[in-house]
Amino acid sequence: MSAPQRQVTGPQLSATAIFYRRIGWLRFVDRFGRKGQAAMEYLGGLAELAGQAIHGCITRPFYSTEVMTQLDEIGVKSLSITGITAFSTGMVLALQTAYALAAFGGKMFVGRVVALSLLRELGPVLTALMVGGRVGSGITAELGSMVVTEQVDALRAMAISPVRRLVVPRVLATVLMLPVLTALADVLGILGGLLIAVVELQMTAQDYLTSIWNQLAISDIMSGLSKTFFFGFEIALIGCFNGMRVEGGASAVGIATTRTVVLASICVLVSDFFLTKLFLAL
Amino acid sequence: MPVFDPNTPLGPRPAPAGDTIVEFENVTKRYSGKEILAGVNLQIRRGEILCVLGPSGTGKSVTLRHINGLTKPDEGDVRVFGESVIPLTEDQLSPIRRRLAMLFQGGALFDSMTVEQNVAFPLQEHTTKTPREIAETVAEKLSMVGLPGTQRKMPSELSGGMRKRVALARSIALEPEMILYDEPTTGLDPLTSEKIGHLIVDINKRIKTTSVVVTHDIVMARTVSDRLAFLHQGRFQFIGTFSEASRGGPPVLMEYFRSMGFPCGTGLVQVVKDL
Repeated sequence: MSAPQRQVTGPQLSATAIFYRRIGWLRFVDRFGRKGQAAMEYLGGLAELAGQAIHGCITRPFYSTEVMTQLDEIGVKSLSITGITAFSTGMVLALQTAYALAAFGGKMFVGRVVALSLLRELGPVLTALMVGGRVGSGITAELGSMVVTEQVDALRAMAISPVRRLVVPRVLATVLMLPVLTALADVLGILGGLLIAVVELQMTAQDYLTSIWNQLAISDIMSGLSKTFFFGFEIALIGCFNGMRVEGGASAVGIATTRTVVLASICVLVSDFFLTKLFLAL
Repeated sequence: MPVFDPNTPLGPRPAPAGDTIVEFENVTKRYSGKEILAGVNLQIRRGEILCVLGPSGTGKSVTLRHINGLTKPDEGDVRVFGESVIPLTEDQLSPIRRRLAMLFQGGALFDSMTVEQNVAFPLQEHTTKTPREIAETVAEKLSMVGLPGTQRKMPSELSGGMRKRVALARSIALEPEMILYDEPTTGLDPLTSEKIGHLIVDINKRIKTTSVVVTHDIVMARTVSDRLAFLHQGRFQFIGTFSEASRGGPPVLMEYFRSMGFPCGTGLVQVVKDL
């Protein structure tokens, strides 16, 4: 006599689950779709905040005291980091250029190459990257902590717009201070090159400066400085947005801060290409 | 000015028969698919102190945040001062929020500002008072909460109880029509909790405001409430006075009282009084 056949029952799978199990690539598409949706939501939120920030910049009320505080926090306190970066870069540029041009007897062009590289590209981009790291992360950490400790909700509960009070002053200050920091970085970078030209390359300061002065066009300066307004806006906006959307505790603030540094750096570098194309076409 | 009136009568008082200024109608709120509020109905009367009581994680704070529009429901309606807050944008909510104040669980003081700047903040934003008048108001409100002379201190220099009292001073700076208290005694010792309870009753009388107090502290609820609303499993299981609750509320409320160390039934009121 045969034993009664036992019916094996496993966990009940939904029709969707069975479908996914059978067709694995659909899961990949689904995951990709979700990531894409999250990215689009992020960009949408960023665009919305950008609109609110621009609106806040041109309509009342203005928080001028807060703007002044941020000008100091974002601008003045970034002077050392951007200055040291630019000065070192100018020195390295002079050394490398002299090395590369030595074979062609082009040592007298060192000043010109250093100045053009700094004014058109390295000055704005390096300053933006340094400010993006220092200021962008600082903004995210500060606003993220305010969200976690309900200070942002307290503002809203007091009928005060967090965008006007927190975002607009930081965006304004970064947009205004980045060109100033870049201009100073350009000057310091050229001075760094001058130091190397005189000490290492046995050039006279007059030769170095004359080669810059004779070849420099106003468009070289303007194209570099114009980019920094866009860089400043991107850095501050990403910093504020990531800070304002923190959910959870201290670890979420840390994650948001890292994300700001990465995203701000990528945005600066990618937008630099398009802005360069744009300014060359103008 | 005294910290608070020590003669302020505490304990259950007859519920004021004021007009309804806040009304919840079938409010439902979900977070990550989980239903926190499941069709809540509640009316808050002008001038009363309503305690929203319940275990942690039942949606008490979420209920409170619906009143000033910090949180919007998924379904249902919330009317404040006769106006639905659901369709209003942040800008449109401003007139209603100016009539309300909220005391957050951790105080939510701005840590980059001094005590004086914190309390002066709503006055600078919403009034045309001169700096001298603002300084006088700040001093008055700080005295009301028992912290005179602390204007120059930073929030980081204050204890938890002091931070809550400074936050309370900031909340009453504009003398709002309604104050929302989110767990005002959490993390405080019994003595400080009692002081906060006295302050809530005192302020309610002095500036003739309406108060909604979210708490899980039965002693606090007994001390300050005109009415009690017990939230459990997304709904108000009981709304009435503390005496009514102690005489025989729903089993789940009795169970809550027991879990908090209070015997329930006819002897409850006496036991709490003895405490």
